[in-house]
Amino acid sequence: MTTISKKRLAKELRELQTHGPPTGIAVVSAEDFECWLFTIEVLGNTLYEGEKFCLRFRFPGNYPIESPEVTFVVDEKWGAPVHPHIYSNGHICASILGNEWSPVLSVVSVCLTLQSMLASCTKKQRPQDNDRYVLHAPLSPKKTRFHYDDDTV
Amino acid sequence: MKVAVKQWHAVAYWKWDTGATTEQDANADEDAEDDVCGICRVSFEGCCPTCKMPGDDCPLIWGQCTHVFHMHCLLKWLNTASSKQQCPMDRRTWVTAERKVDR
Repeated sequence: MTTISKKRLAKELRELQTHGPPTGIAVVSAEDFECWLFTIEVLGNTLYEGEKFCLRFRFPGNYPIESPEVTFVVDEKWGAPVHPHIYSNGHICASILGNEWSPVLSVVSVCLTLQSMLASCTKKQRPQDNDRYVLHAPLSPKKTRFHYDDDTV
Repeated sequence: MKVAVKQWHAVAYWKWDTGATTEQDANADEDAEDDVCGICRVSFEGCCPTCKMPGDDCPLIWGQCTHVFHMHCLLKWLNTASSKQQCPMDRRTWVTAERKVDR
């Protein structure tokens, strides 16, 4: 494994430990430099009030040149938020995780973007093609070519 | 009283001229974000993750958009298809700025 992701993630982890994560975000596990888990809540008066979700980051060896794989955990304990851009298998359709990734983004900035994506949601519903997508979805959403056609949410 | 200097020790430090004004330098401690490469988050005076020696061996690169990175970090990014040759900060097409050495 290359050292570039380790060095960058070690810095991000130190930052998280000294300044603490942003409001509504909490570290569940960050034991290695391959997979980190966070809980995410949307505070304030939103459709997701009182709900808590779990986000999984998987980092490629050349992170941050390459984007992390970010999904909502779906298991016995956790579920994916009901949102027009989030599939029931936890895959997220967000341009910054796909073709608009930039190496100046970070774990925290991704969390904040997803938090505001939830906060601005006006109608709880699954993506239109949810069932079809989930049935055939690749294991990693990074293998999916999403169309980013809606800037409003 | 006469003082004879028997020995002296010179100490010097260097810094890349990133165009930051002295006023900004004074605030550097508060806002250290401006003094690190946005890609690797290591200070400009440090080196990119693949280098061991800072300085001329691991130089900075300036874009016409005024953004600065470790050259090696930026080239790693521009060498990927997903970069679309864009500056990581503002997504404008990266054009390396010519730097005039005026000092």
